[in-house]
Amino acid sequence: MAVNTLFFRKTIMASTGLFLCLFLIVHLSANCILVLPEETARQIYNSYSTTLRESPLIKIVAYLLYASIIFHTIYALLITIRNQKAKPQKYIVNNTKANSTWTSQNMGLIGVVILLFIVIHLANFWARIKLGIGEDVALDSSGHLDVYEVTYSLFQNIYYVLLYSVLMIPLGLHLNHGLKSGFKTLGFYHKKWTRIIARISLVYSALMAIGFGIIPLVVYFK
Amino acid sequence: MEITFKIWRQNSPKTKGKIEAYKVDGITEDMSFLEALDHLNEQLVLKGEKVIAYEYDCREGICGQCGIFINGRAHGPHDHITTCQLHMRSFKDGDTIIVEPWRAASFPVIKDLIVDRSAFDRIIEQGAYISAKTGTAPEANAILIPKEISDKAMNAAACIGCGACVATCKNSSAALFTSAKINHLNNLPQGKAEANNRVLKMTKQMEQEGFGSCTYTGACEVECPENISILNIAEMNARHTKAKLLR
Amino acid sequence: MILNSKIPEGKLEDKWRNYQIRSKLINPANKKKLNVIVVGTGLSGAGAAATLAELGYDVQCFCYQDSARRAHSVAAQGGINAAKNYQHDGDSVWRMFYDTLKGGDFRSREANVYRLAELSAPLIDHYVQQGVPFAREYGGVLVNRSFGGVQVQRTFYARGQTGQQLQLAAYSQLYKMINLNKVKMFPRSEMMDLVVIDGKAKGIIVRDLRNGEIKKYAADAVVLATGGYSRVFRLSTLAIGCNGSAIWKAHKRGAFFAGPSFTQIHPTALPQTSESQSKLTLMSESLRNDGRIWVPKQKADSRKANDIPEEDRDYYLERRYPGFGNLAPRDIASRAAKERIDAGYGVGRLKNAVYLDFKHAINTFGLQTIKDRYGNLFKMYLKITGIDAYKEPMQISPAAHFSMGGLWVDYELMTTIPGLYAVGECNFSDHGANRLGANSLLQASIDGYFVLPNTINNYLANALQEETVTIDHPQFEKVENEAKKRIQQILDVKGSKTVDHFHRALGEIMWQECAMSRNKKGLEQAIDKIKALKNEFWKDVRVTGHDKELNTELEKAYRLADFIELGILMCTDALQREESCGAHFREEYQTDEGEALRIDKDYSYVSAWEYNEGNFKLHKEQLQFENVTPTVRSYK
Repeated sequence: MAVNTLFFRKTIMASTGLFLCLFLIVHLSANCILVLPEETARQIYNSYSTTLRESPLIKIVAYLLYASIIFHTIYALLITIRNQKAKPQKYIVNNTKANSTWTSQNMGLIGVVILLFIVIHLANFWARIKLGIGEDVALDSSGHLDVYEVTYSLFQNIYYVLLYSVLMIPLGLHLNHGLKSGFKTLGFYHKKWTRIIARISLVYSALMAIGFGIIPLVVYFK
Repeated sequence: MEITFKIWRQNSPKTKGKIEAYKVDGITEDMSFLEALDHLNEQLVLKGEKVIAYEYDCREGICGQCGIFINGRAHGPHDHITTCQLHMRSFKDGDTIIVEPWRAASFPVIKDLIVDRSAFDRIIEQGAYISAKTGTAPEANAILIPKEISDKAMNAAACIGCGACVATCKNSSAALFTSAKINHLNNLPQGKAEANNRVLKMTKQMEQEGFGSCTYTGACEVECPENISILNIAEMNARHTKAKLLR
Repeated sequence: MILNSKIPEGKLEDKWRNYQIRSKLINPANKKKLNVIVVGTGLSGAGAAATLAELGYDVQCFCYQDSARRAHSVAAQGGINAAKNYQHDGDSVWRMFYDTLKGGDFRSREANVYRLAELSAPLIDHYVQQGVPFAREYGGVLVNRSFGGVQVQRTFYARGQTGQQLQLAAYSQLYKMINLNKVKMFPRSEMMDLVVIDGKAKGIIVRDLRNGEIKKYAADAVVLATGGYSRVFRLSTLAIGCNGSAIWKAHKRGAFFAGPSFTQIHPTALPQTSESQSKLTLMSESLRNDGRIWVPKQKADSRKANDIPEEDRDYYLERRYPGFGNLAPRDIASRAAKERIDAGYGVGRLKNAVYLDFKHAINTFGLQTIKDRYGNLFKMYLKITGIDAYKEPMQISPAAHFSMGGLWVDYELMTTIPGLYAVGECNFSDHGANRLGANSLLQASIDGYFVLPNTINNYLANALQEETVTIDHPQFEKVENEAKKRIQQILDVKGSKTVDHFHRALGEIMWQECAMSRNKKGLEQAIDKIKALKNEFWKDVRVTGHDKELNTELEKAYRLADFIELGILMCTDALQREESCGAHFREEYQTDEGEALRIDKDYSYVSAWEYNEGNFKLHKEQLQFENVTPTVRSYK
């Protein structure tokens, strides 16, 4: 029997999605360093990022991360195309809010917004630090790349602060629906556990959205 | 009551359709929605016009034949009912009601509000049965099935095949329908022998029929007249994975 | 013509076995060459088609619905009887046989009824094997409940969906055989006529409902499994599409029609509320276990139910039948309600209902207990009527529900046309003049799964020697043209009244004169009125659209044209039977207390009617009771 694409594609979506969810926890933990007093923050943040850059294990994880983002995007696109084809004619009136959440109906749209954010985010940091595009990154007193300075200076710009904070709202929505749905795709159907997973998803996504959203503000007002 | 119906009219599968408006007087609150359409049809006949084609049979919510998209919802404004159970008291005098057929590539319109749901039958054909011939059955109580299991199977088996899940799903996914049938049989000891084959064949057919994939909006379980849980889909996923791995 | 019921020799208990021992067999290689048409996909039709295909026959199966799964067997809620004696309460095949025969008021064949009871237990085994999720105890064994007033618990059920679950099993089994290419399925296909060649059924003419195309199908035998005809009353608990056309066409081609006036009226349906109403929803009979039925003592009392004090209420069933009270059998309860309503005591907007009150039960047992027992029914009632029955009484009213009558069949389920079989509700075989609750799913299933597949071989064995008829036979074209002509005739009337107008008029006549209570004068008038209605129909009906398209109005019209003719036969039958038995109550034949008076010495026979150019000729099949003595049913 050939690969059942409906299941295969959804499984890829779920596994990449869940991996990205895990990654976000690590990412947020690191971001928390930014709210420490300036000199402490600078020191820890810079040495932490140096460690990351130099660890071969993290390199593998990083490639997994890139792959996850790319596959998550590609398969979202493939699934959406097929789903659109399955409903070629839309209803003249469709009262979706009566039976489902806005988020669940618009995961694709939210996903595109998040993708755009990721592009900006990568341009701001990844491109500068790893690819060396743009202004050179200075060294700090310990000889580490001063990644803290990069972050700090970016968040002195109120427009970037607002962009980073506000776009965490769609991220939270996407995570909430995505996380609990991912578990269903992977076959978690126990009645009680599904309810618990739904609650965990809600708490997790709220933490991520608030955490990621509030740090730029804190940095800005520091 | 006076109601304006805006109804999708389409002469045949190949012709283009459009919405037409009909102002109808003399509707009472006690009428079911389908009776209001009957009433409209009688007026159309007397005017010499073609009647509106729509489906119904039992008119008591069990045969699954009726199915109309009413004011943006499958089977109308209430949760967990069929179109025939919808009554005009749910509307107000002077209301305009938008009436559309189920929309899905796998449910092509035959005429007006009638669609072809034979894709469901073809999914069933791929394994929604126990391959045992009449006359070969062992004594009924020889197969003990704990109440819990039999209740679970019954919850899934309750599906009446109306297609509201597909109609309301933004992806026209037939996952709720297919999973309900798979879980009905695969949960029972009688269905175990063919369990893996059943899930693989039925889901393959589901895919070939052109239904979309489930993105868990949950709309299907709200519109389902039999209140079938979306967890059935998750259970089907688990069974599918297991069947794939064990092949 | 002498009707030969072909009842096998031997003791009652041995007859079915003796039959099977003696019937002809066909070897598997030859079965492939034999083609059987099955019309209808309910429990009997789908069961027969699937089983015949499993046996090796080549089957073509037709239904008018969009899918075989929709057949009206789905609507039966209560359950299915079987003499399993799982409850250890003294049940047996014999007891079930006797209950069914007595329930039918001794107007059915002993041998048929015994076979029904005998095969009931293996049928439950069969359905369990097919995956029907019957209700279970915690330990895993099957549950039973009592039903229809019998004294043992022999009813199996699957929540409130017994019919649906059995139907799904039959439909799935049918699709299994479709998948194996042993059955060819034709949904949205309606049988328009029967093709009889040299006195034998050889095929059918079918209209493809999607595009109006008329098609011909030939076979070695034809099985009708087309269900009941209670839609002749228009308002009934049946599905809107249910019709009597297939059996009526067969009747006109020579099949005798037996007991046409035996139709069951169910006492607890929801009343009609408007002229345009299409359907009466059944409320489970179980409600009468706790509800008390009453009407106001004062005629046309305009007070609200809750404002009428106890002393102004007439609990008429308790008054008339103190022994059984609100649990009187279906026919008695229906008739008593009609009597009160006709006398002017009816309630509700159209004054056509009686109250079913749970106030006392709620006071005695508490609200929660009543909710536990009937919660889903109260919810359904609220959905349909908008009334909360915990706070005010339900309004209920009798409704046409089941037709015991149908095509006359012998022990082999073959009609008087060789090669034409009738199974399930469309035949007259097991229920006599009244059907017991939870016996309809049973009879349909037994006919389709167990009886027909074991009797049809007895006929088909001979068909092997005959030349195979194809649709090229001139008779096919002749019948096809007749079917086309009839459709054209309807379209050509171009009158001024809708089909529903005529159906309402027919329903009114039938309901008034040929339902719960009948009398000579009324029936005679009814026949005249229906004949006049028939004339008017063919002069003044209006059907829009054309015949080469999906045309629901046209479908209604040609079905109604047959119902009108059937109505005449039903009244003729009711008029001829000058006694009261089961559901057939002739006002002239009642005891001093107003109870049914059966007259065994004159009417202990099955009336089988032969069609002859618009007239009907009666043939009698005398009923022999060798094992039981017919007794009087009394419920005082």
